[in-house]
Amino acid sequence: MMDRKLRIGIVCPYSWDVPGGVQNHIRDLAEFLIHNGHHVEVLAPATESEDLPDYVVSAGRSVSIPYNGAVARVLFGVVANSRVRSWINEGNFDLLHLHEPAIPSLSLLACWAGEGPMIGTFHAAAKYQKAIVAIGPILEPVIEKLSARIAVSESARLTLTAHLETDAIVIPNGIYADNYRDGTSRPEWQGNTIGFLGRFEEDRKGLPVLLDALPIISRFIPDIRVLIAGPGDSEEVLERVDPQLRNRVEFLGKISEEDKADFLASVSLYIAPNTGGESFGIILAEAMAGGAAVVASDIPAFADVLGDGKYGALFESENSENLAKVIIDLLRDERKRKELAAAGAVHAQRFDWSQVGEEIFEVYQLAIVKGQKVSLTSENRSWTRLLGRD
Amino acid sequence: MKDFILYVALALIAFWYLSFSAGRLDRLHHRVETSWATLDSLLQRRAAIALDVARSAITDPATSLLLTASAYHARSADIEDRSSAESVLSGALGMMLAERESIVAQSDQVLLHELDQLTDKIRVAISIHVESVTRTQLIRSKLVFRLFRLAGTAPLPVIYEFEADAI
Repeated sequence: MMDRKLRIGIVCPYSWDVPGGVQNHIRDLAEFLIHNGHHVEVLAPATESEDLPDYVVSAGRSVSIPYNGAVARVLFGVVANSRVRSWINEGNFDLLHLHEPAIPSLSLLACWAGEGPMIGTFHAAAKYQKAIVAIGPILEPVIEKLSARIAVSESARLTLTAHLETDAIVIPNGIYADNYRDGTSRPEWQGNTIGFLGRFEEDRKGLPVLLDALPIISRFIPDIRVLIAGPGDSEEVLERVDPQLRNRVEFLGKISEEDKADFLASVSLYIAPNTGGESFGIILAEAMAGGAAVVASDIPAFADVLGDGKYGALFESENSENLAKVIIDLLRDERKRKELAAAGAVHAQRFDWSQVGEEIFEVYQLAIVKGQKVSLTSENRSWTRLLGRD
Repeated sequence: MKDFILYVALALIAFWYLSFSAGRLDRLHHRVETSWATLDSLLQRRAAIALDVARSAITDPATSLLLTASAYHARSADIEDRSSAESVLSGALGMMLAERESIVAQSDQVLLHELDQLTDKIRVAISIHVESVTRTQLIRSKLVFRLFRLAGTAPLPVIYEFEADAI
């Protein structure tokens, strides 16, 4: 269906220097589109000197601001604004794809400055907040310029409808499912092992919930082993564990993508005890693709990805006893575990880029009007003419 | 003098706000037009495929009669009746697709595959269109927009009933 080659401009709100879900999604999307022969430019905050992929255009160094209960590394201001405007003006794009345009960022500036076919993707899933409703009247005239809105999950869509009274199409984040499918099961990671992946020092990733469940689990399954992969200081975490159980916990450090596939293929259960702040459970999609049986907390983003428990077991978030019970039940019931893993592996294909990328591109095609390019809005043009800056 | 300047400033702000709002509404009308044009062309293509299917060997004479009638009806309906006419066509196509296991010929499969792809697109196009229409209706119902007749002579956009279960 990809007949005509397009010029697509993507705006990334968060700094390209730090890893994150939105950045990874944009990188994969850009590479998917380039692979299909389109011209793609990504405008992102980035430090000028570092090695950027050649499709990334730096808009300058980001600043850290507290937003929505987390620290966001974004970029805006007068200089950034004029960068965005000249990028749009010179880019001659058929379409702009703005990520997270409702937060103070490059995306919002681009949405303000641009006119024509524009798509917005909303990643954040947040509880109902008065602050966002209060800025609604300011955001609405900007957000309504978007030809189509995409939400990455049902909870992101609900967040959008609750705060800005606008609807969106749900298209999940993508993974390259093939990269995880052919992992080999390694003997040293087999047995009654449960795996955890991620920056374990951050409490919202939920490792404390899992470690609190460990004493209960070890009473029923004495040869339980917790394998923890990811960057961080292991000493500090071990101090919180009962000394008698410390030999049940192993740290693997940061692992490569190939090791990750092997890891997912080897462990008996993959555990995601995150307590919140996730917009999407990309790691769950990867774990399912890797053939692991998944146990995750029942936060909305995770429940979405796991089909409310159909493709992986859910436990009550932050409840260690409940987590222990779910883990024990599954470790004792090999048949159920295998069934869960098999259902997950099939479901994971739904998140593969071949499917997700095609869906996003379909929205592009619906938004594009023949012969119309993205330009600066007429309002902006008359202002610049008035100020003699044209 | 001070009062005078204040009034002028207020008048300027009011003028700017009205012209900004009019521009905003104009953009929304434009969005409705483009989303409708996209949806319309997809629906036209679906009607054309439905006619192709009706003429092919896929269908029995009764189904083919139903498909032909509903496809013609959908094509000629005016905008108010369009969504109900298209729903009738969706229903007719659904009846035909319910027996798709019995369809084996390669050329027929190609036709059905095209129909499937089109259906996915139509679903997305409908939700995009519905969003732009409701947003426009919402803005137009606001007091400022009605009081100053910012919509001008543009007709109020017609909502397209979203058939979630379409095919």
